[in-house]
Order: sequence, then C-alpha cells, then structure tokens
Amino acid sequence: MVETNNDVKKKLRKISFKALKATIKAVLIYAVYFILWTFIAPISQIIPNFQLMVETFVTVYIALIIVEELTSGTIFHYFFNVAKALFVIGYLIASLQGGIFNITVENMSLVIDLRIILTIATLLGLLGLAKSVLQTINYMSEKAELPTI
Amino acid sequence: MIGLATTFFWIFLIAFIATAVYSAKDLQFMFGEPQLGITGDNKLLFSMPITIINNGLYNIDSFSLRTRIKDKDGHTLARGTTIIPIIRKGEEVTATHNMTIDVNSVLQKNQNYLFNDTEVTIYETGSIGIAHIIPVQASTNFTMPWGAPLYNFALGPSQYTPFNYTHARVVVPISFENHAFFDFNGNIRIDMYNSTDVLVGEGQTNIEAWHDSPYYGNVELLVQTAGMTGSGHFEVYFQTSFFDYGPMVIPYG
Repeated sequence: MVETNNDVKKKLRKISFKALKATIKAVLIYAVYFILWTFIAPISQIIPNFQLMVETFVTVYIALIIVEELTSGTIFHYFFNVAKALFVIGYLIASLQGGIFNITVENMSLVIDLRIILTIATLLGLLGLAKSVLQTINYMSEKAELPTI
Repeated sequence: MIGLATTFFWIFLIAFIATAVYSAKDLQFMFGEPQLGITGDNKLLFSMPITIINNGLYNIDSFSLRTRIKDKDGHTLARGTTIIPIIRKGEEVTATHNMTIDVNSVLQKNQNYLFNDTEVTIYETGSIGIAHIIPVQASTNFTMPWGAPLYNFALGPSQYTPFNYTHARVVVPISFENHAFFDFNGNIRIDMYNSTDVLVGEGQTNIEAWHDSPYYGNVELLVQTAGMTGSGHFEVYFQTSFFDYGPMVIPYG
C-alpha cells in the first residue's frame, strides 16, 4: 500500500502535536523546578551535591516525560510511564539515603530525619506505579478486544 | 481520578518540603553570656541563656540541648539538658541551659583536677522538630582546658617564733595559682605532725584567690614545743563552699 500525501501530513501533524505537548510539559516542569529551587536553595549550602542531585532528578524526569509523550498511543508510552514511576521511587530512596541524612561539616554532625517524608513520597510513587500498571493492563485489554479485519 | 489525586498530593508534598526548608532559615538561635553560681547543694552551676526566635511558617517542637563534659578517660564529669516542648511560629522563647558540676564527685574520680591543668571534652547535641515531622539533630564536640584551682600548690620554708613556755608560733607560707574558671574562696587548715606521727599543732586561714591569678599567703600554727622534731609532715585540708579535700601530706625537715 502506498502512503498518500494526506497520510504523511497527518502523521507529521500527529508527531508535531506530540512534540509540542512534550515540550509544554517539559517547560512546565522546569518552571515548577525553577520556582521551587528559590525556596530550597539554602539546603545546597548545607548538603553537598544537593543541587546536582536535584538537577539529575529533574533532567531524567523531563527526559522520561518527553519520551513518554512521543511514544503515546503505543505500548512504549505505558512502558516509559512505569519506568518514570519506578525511577521516582528508586531515586528518592537512593538519594535520601533511606530517609536519614547524615552530613558532617568540619566538627559538626547534622542528622536530618526525612523518613516520614520519604514514606509519603514512596507511597505516592507506588500509587503512580499502580496507576501506570493499571493503564497498561487496560491498554492491552482494549487492544485484545479490537476485532481483527 | 487516581492521576489527579496523585498530582495533587505531589504538589502538596513538594510545597510542604519547600516551605519547611524556607522556614528553617528564619530560625534564629542566640546564646547569651555564660554565668557561674553555686546551687543549694553546693555544686557549681553553669548557666547560659538561650533565645530562639521562630520567624518561620511552622511551629518548632521538641527543642532540646544536651551538654556532657567528659574527661580524658571518658568519665562524665557533668551533664545538662534543656528542653522546650514547643516554639510557635512568630514566637520568641528564652530558656536557660543549666549544667551542674559536682566538684567533690569530680575530685573523687581524679584528684589531679585540683592541682594539674588538663583538658576536658564537651559534647553538645541540639535537636529540633520542624513542622512536627522533620526531626533535625546537630552534634559536635570540642576540647576545653581545665584550669586547676590549686595549680603548683606548695608550702614554703616554715618560720618558728616562740609564743610562750609551752608553745611556738610556726608560720607556713603557702602559694599556688588559681587557674580555674571560678574564684577559690574557702579555708585551708594545716595540721603539723612530728616524726613519730603525733599531732603537735594546727592552724587555719581563710583565703580568697581570684581565678587566673596567683595567691601568696601564710598559715599560722600554734605548736607544742615539747613535741617538735626536726622532721615530720604537714597534713593540708581544703574546704570551700563546693568541695572539701584533704589530707594532702607534705613532708618537712
């Protein structure tokens, strides 16, 4: 079957729309990060590599969102959705060192107990993961139900 | 719906963390001039006023400041704890951090604290709870010199003068440096024993030695002339409002 000019245009428009949607989402998330950073910037003076830690998280998260949007309508969209939810849980546990931050500056030891925050964040992450898994199952079921012509 | 609820909770959580951190920077701790006193049970009382100003957005709970002073061998010499259950937002709270030092008990562990300068280690631990769910604890330790109140204590050569037919007046010069952070106000008693360990005389004097200053003085003893020998020993007793020590045996002759 030969693709008509209209089909190519439709595909291009679809890809452009996905790219635009991904860009808007990425810009929005970066804007939220930018605003929040002004509040949490003082932490970077206490915790070394805090800015790098947050920037890495934001970069990977935005990258996953872009890929997820670009692959929407396919099984990969749900795959990246699950990956995003797992990344959030994994990165939080790893970067928050199990919820207890231990920083030593010269002769002073500072311990910040973020276990309650980490528990809430992990539960929210798990909720996101559950949602992604359910969406994947739903997508697969819908695909399976479609009549083959 | 799950997505919407999750997003809402994420925004709430992130906003909470951001504001909690932002609040923490508006906390002010001020430490006043330390003061020294004596408690009713004759212990040294070290007190330091602490002022906490909470200009943050959340209440601060479970503020505590713990101090422990340990010697070189790890024995605890003194400890003090100050707890403030809650500091509401916009509130200013002043508390006094008290620490009592039982000098008598310290001297029982090591009498060198009286005569030799040494070092003690101070362990400080402070903790607060931000917005009831983020406990933060800071701890540090540092060494501080311990100045001996009777550093270089010595008795000089005694001077004998006749008093009457049976007794003589013996003047014993005493000298030391008070290196301690407190003034040494008390009484020194000297008992004089002859070579056969028989008490032949005694005398005492009140002394006031300011901290970080040398002291020179005399103790006058009334001694039985009949029992006096060329050699023997003095037994020195120290009595102050917060410690008693003695006898310190110093031979003569």
